[in-house]
Amino acid sequence: MAAAGAARRAGWRLWRGRAVVRCQHYPPLRALQASAALRRVSDEHKKEPFTSSSQHQFDPHPAGHQPEQEPQGPHPSCTGQGGQESEDYESEEQLQRRILTAALEFVPEHGWTAEAIAEGAKTLGLSVAAAGMFHSDGSELILHFVSECNAKLSELLEKEQKLVQLGEAEKKPTDEFLRDAVEARLRMLIPYIEKWPQALSVLLLPRNIPSSLSLLTSMIDDIWHYAGDQSTDFNWYTRRAVLTGIYNTTELVMLQDSSPDFEDTWRFLENRVADAMNMSNTASQVQSTGEAVVQGLMGAAVTVSNVETLRPELLLSPPMLNASPVLEVRAPMDTWEVAPVPEPEQGDFLKLFQLTSVPFQEFIHFLVLSWTALCPCRGSFASSGVQNSPLCTQE
Amino acid sequence: MAAVAVAPAVRPSLGLRRCLRCGPGPRAVPAGGAAPRPCSTRAAPRGIDRPVIDRIIRVDHAGEYGANRIYAGQMAVLGRSSVGPVIQQMWDQEKDHLKKFNELMVAYRVRPTVLLPFWNVAGFVLGAGSALLGKKGAMACTVAVEESISDHYNNQIRTLMEEDPEKYKELLQVIKQFRDDEREHHDIGIEHDAEATPAYSVLKTAIQLGCKAAIFLSERI
Repeated sequence: MAAAGAARRAGWRLWRGRAVVRCQHYPPLRALQASAALRRVSDEHKKEPFTSSSQHQFDPHPAGHQPEQEPQGPHPSCTGQGGQESEDYESEEQLQRRILTAALEFVPEHGWTAEAIAEGAKTLGLSVAAAGMFHSDGSELILHFVSECNAKLSELLEKEQKLVQLGEAEKKPTDEFLRDAVEARLRMLIPYIEKWPQALSVLLLPRNIPSSLSLLTSMIDDIWHYAGDQSTDFNWYTRRAVLTGIYNTTELVMLQDSSPDFEDTWRFLENRVADAMNMSNTASQVQSTGEAVVQGLMGAAVTVSNVETLRPELLLSPPMLNASPVLEVRAPMDTWEVAPVPEPEQGDFLKLFQLTSVPFQEFIHFLVLSWTALCPCRGSFASSGVQNSPLCTQE
Repeated sequence: MAAVAVAPAVRPSLGLRRCLRCGPGPRAVPAGGAAPRPCSTRAAPRGIDRPVIDRIIRVDHAGEYGANRIYAGQMAVLGRSSVGPVIQQMWDQEKDHLKKFNELMVAYRVRPTVLLPFWNVAGFVLGAGSALLGKKGAMACTVAVEESISDHYNNQIRTLMEEDPEKYKELLQVIKQFRDDEREHHDIGIEHDAEATPAYSVLKTAIQLGCKAAIFLSERI
């Protein structure tokens, strides 16, 4: 009992200490106390299965074993990487991670709660008081799960990338890649889908928002990185924002989906990704139209100013119709097909200045002619100077 | 799954931030340790100090982008004058710098600053505005900006040298090269009578203040 209390207190101090300390070395005293308390507790219960159950885990924590089995104090078999403190620091984190991983299998039954963690701890042969190390709302369990899923996703994407590099697989087009990546990641939720709404609400607690947000952003960044995104301008943000939106909405749809193998969700995902691709196409088309319009206005302005200064040679001679580079119809290229973005060439304004005199003169010429044809020279402006204008060909 | 069990120093644990080496970099890192970084599953390449490198590359990329736009603005106004070729040549060098930082940004997976669209406009306006003050005005702007940038690069070189010159050899080489280029631009500006601009010191101070603010913001945002 006293040991359990000590463990809980030590656990709380541990938790608060860890929350505060980020970059500095972990206060060795607390680590020692906490792990010592745990060890005392586990020794008390004398759980044999401890060593055997830890073998159930894939276990590359050789450093973790030693402090667990021996009593506190200087460890003769210390592997001496920076001393006792860092070894305990490692084993503390690793221990917590092992408990949480073990707890995951109890989540479908108990939800994301301290009960699941307690059950997990029991599997490892620790006392249920080990659950006192964690918050009662299961935040750490959920964050641990999310971070594990992200790691698995990264591995998956890395493997795929290697296959493509070795030439054993085709490079997928961007929309298919994004779809597959998001689907793979969401499929990892399937075993826990019943209790996932609870997890989402916990992740949205103000206390957890920084962590959950950073896990989300790093996952999205990973997906785009493996999709081949090499943007270095504002596109970087747009793409990630859009993909985040797609991911979140698909996740919510998945929670409500009751179709076999979540078909409706994957169809929803496909449609959203297609929408996003269309959006980027439309955006680039709007941009080229906008540029053309601006060019036209600039051309009009200069032509009108030429008229004012009575430079007939610019108007009466049919202008050469050079194809304006801006007016080229851009192929509806998918701007998300991560082609290298062309660098900003000579500034757009420079282009405008250079091209004003030529392309739209025809158009403006036509406009002016039709204006004169319609009426003004016919008499209503007799008193103005319009009649003196070389354009006023009619009387 | 061994990747999952990699040392906690590298893996994010329970959503807490990790900091590989909270280097005491004087300028690039604010007092009080590195700012929270997204918990990333990306493996720390070669054990470099991610927060510091992130900032360095982000702010340098923003700087070259802005310099690009400044020269574009100057060319738009003075392109056909006698200093046109000079400015064009300096602009071409800046384009090379920008290209190099684009590559570094992709290689180190650094995010660009959110303020890029703003620097796009502000840079052009600064370049065009200073060019409207005449050729000397444009040169004065160049001098001010290049001096600011070479000081900034010097600070970064100092930071990286303090951390570990061997680890950051490639980056150091790039920054040193660019610092030399910028100094050259500064000298060209002086040669072309930048100091003869009316209100030279006022203009220079104002522009350098702006540059300092831009550097501060781009490092963080």
